[in-house]
Amino acid sequence: MTALNSQPAPVAPVGIGWRHPHYGELLESLPALDFIEVHSENFFAEGGATLAVLRQAREHYPVSLHGVGLGLGSATGVDAWHLDQLARLVAQIDPVRVSDHACFARGVLAGKAIHAADLLPIPFNNAALAVLCANVQRVQDRIQRPLLVENLSAYIRFKSSDRGEPDFLNELVQRTGCGLLVDVNNIYVNALNERITGSTLDPVIACKQWLDQIKPSTVHELHLAGHLDGGDIVIDDHGSRVCEDVWQIYSYAQQLFGAVPTLVEWDTDIPALGVLLAEADRARALLQRQVETA
Amino acid sequence: MTMLLAREQSLLLQALFVGGEAVRTSLHEGLTSRGLQVYQANGQALAERALTAAYPVVAQMIGEQSFAPLARHFWRLQPPQRGDMAQWGGGLAVFLDAAPQLAEEPFLGDVARVEWALHCASTAQDAQPDPASFSLLSSSEPAQVTLSLSHGVAVFASAYPVVSLVNAHLLKHPSLAQAAALLQSGTAEHALVWRQGFKPHVRTSSAAEHVLVCELQSGRSLEHALDAALEKAGSETFDFNDWLAQSVQTGLITGAHLLISIKTNEDSP
Repeated sequence: MTALNSQPAPVAPVGIGWRHPHYGELLESLPALDFIEVHSENFFAEGGATLAVLRQAREHYPVSLHGVGLGLGSATGVDAWHLDQLARLVAQIDPVRVSDHACFARGVLAGKAIHAADLLPIPFNNAALAVLCANVQRVQDRIQRPLLVENLSAYIRFKSSDRGEPDFLNELVQRTGCGLLVDVNNIYVNALNERITGSTLDPVIACKQWLDQIKPSTVHELHLAGHLDGGDIVIDDHGSRVCEDVWQIYSYAQQLFGAVPTLVEWDTDIPALGVLLAEADRARALLQRQVETA
Repeated sequence: MTMLLAREQSLLLQALFVGGEAVRTSLHEGLTSRGLQVYQANGQALAERALTAAYPVVAQMIGEQSFAPLARHFWRLQPPQRGDMAQWGGGLAVFLDAAPQLAEEPFLGDVARVEWALHCASTAQDAQPDPASFSLLSSSEPAQVTLSLSHGVAVFASAYPVVSLVNAHLLKHPSLAQAAALLQSGTAEHALVWRQGFKPHVRTSSAAEHVLVCELQSGRSLEHALDAALEKAGSETFDFNDWLAQSVQTGLITGAHLLISIKTNEDSP
């Protein structure tokens, strides 16, 4: 019996980001989770222990492959090597979902193509949309399945943006057939930073207004995480519990989008596995309540 | 429009890796300065983590306080080219060789070469041992058969006791004092890196074994490789049968294959 079929069917799948400190413990204890999420790039190796561990986990859980390196908004295009590795991993793991971010990472510096290894923001305009659509389409064609694209937490804003992020993402979905992965904490971090600059008064209301503009049927996963308030800037560090405001916004998102899969992420200062599982339980309880009151 | 986007992206990369200010004209005021600092700090922290993971011995030998700024400098000098951070850092050995402030520690480059080989071996394709294929050694012409090395094998000839230095830090064997004594006495070592199961290893090899593995890596026949190894061995003993048995047992050699079959494939239309 696996961790999957030992539990009643969930109202909607809830999973956790599975990171190195929990590799062994999760495989030994096999807690009741509907899926686990890993960063695709951490498993691009041709062989070795890490890939073997993922294969082992796949025997017990559906796996969501979440990328942080495609750089879908890069004007220089997606790296063919990166796409090859992702396609190979998708074929090996048969993930339940494949996702990455609406960001850029690749570009030219001093005549050389480089990768910034970060999720760098893009302007919300026609040029960026055309690039993003072309790259998303290329990835989808290669992996032969729809991609989910995640909204970003961004610390800088381009003047060349001529529309809001929700409109931009809606257009992306319409043109490419991809889905959206809405990171609730990312919206909240952006709203907190907008409050610092004076462009938003109430971050929670701003987040709800952001969610209101997204076409509900396009949302296929929600992300939850913690953030760091640095005083003069708020950083999406995935290093703490989900805050109460984000839980509130998450409940609102469930009302809008229905019971879609939810992931709890924790990537820095990673706590005991039990802490993550407790956060996942809270998300599951909110989902249950949402189904009962719907 | 796409040209403008590409330019905006290049300018942002320039700001993050070189420190240029030109991107600011494309950005709203707001949090721009702090935002750029956050992205720069992310990259630098990632550089330190990635380089320390790939080069734990070099990091120890240089010391954490010096290695962190070195990693940040290397990040700006040789930014990643791929989105898999495990691929970044292969140029560190050459960088260390050329660093004037490290001129008094000229062995660091070779230590880095061994560590990078260990790093690469850990993610190399898993070995597929084929014990039955060893029958080729007795059933085929020696000039037409060769040995299959496991993936991730690497050999180095160093003017320094590089294996002792690496293993003293990773395995505590030999001791640091013994490794230091070897360094002081000017001992040179041949290093052999390979993976046994999922575990990468490095050990010293004789000059003859070094030549043998080099020749096998080049795709030479076993006969040619062995002749070269024995010539290198000179008056030293090199027992091939013992070596083969040990190499199979430790996962260095996974089987044997015919060279002629490769030629046939290459010649086929």
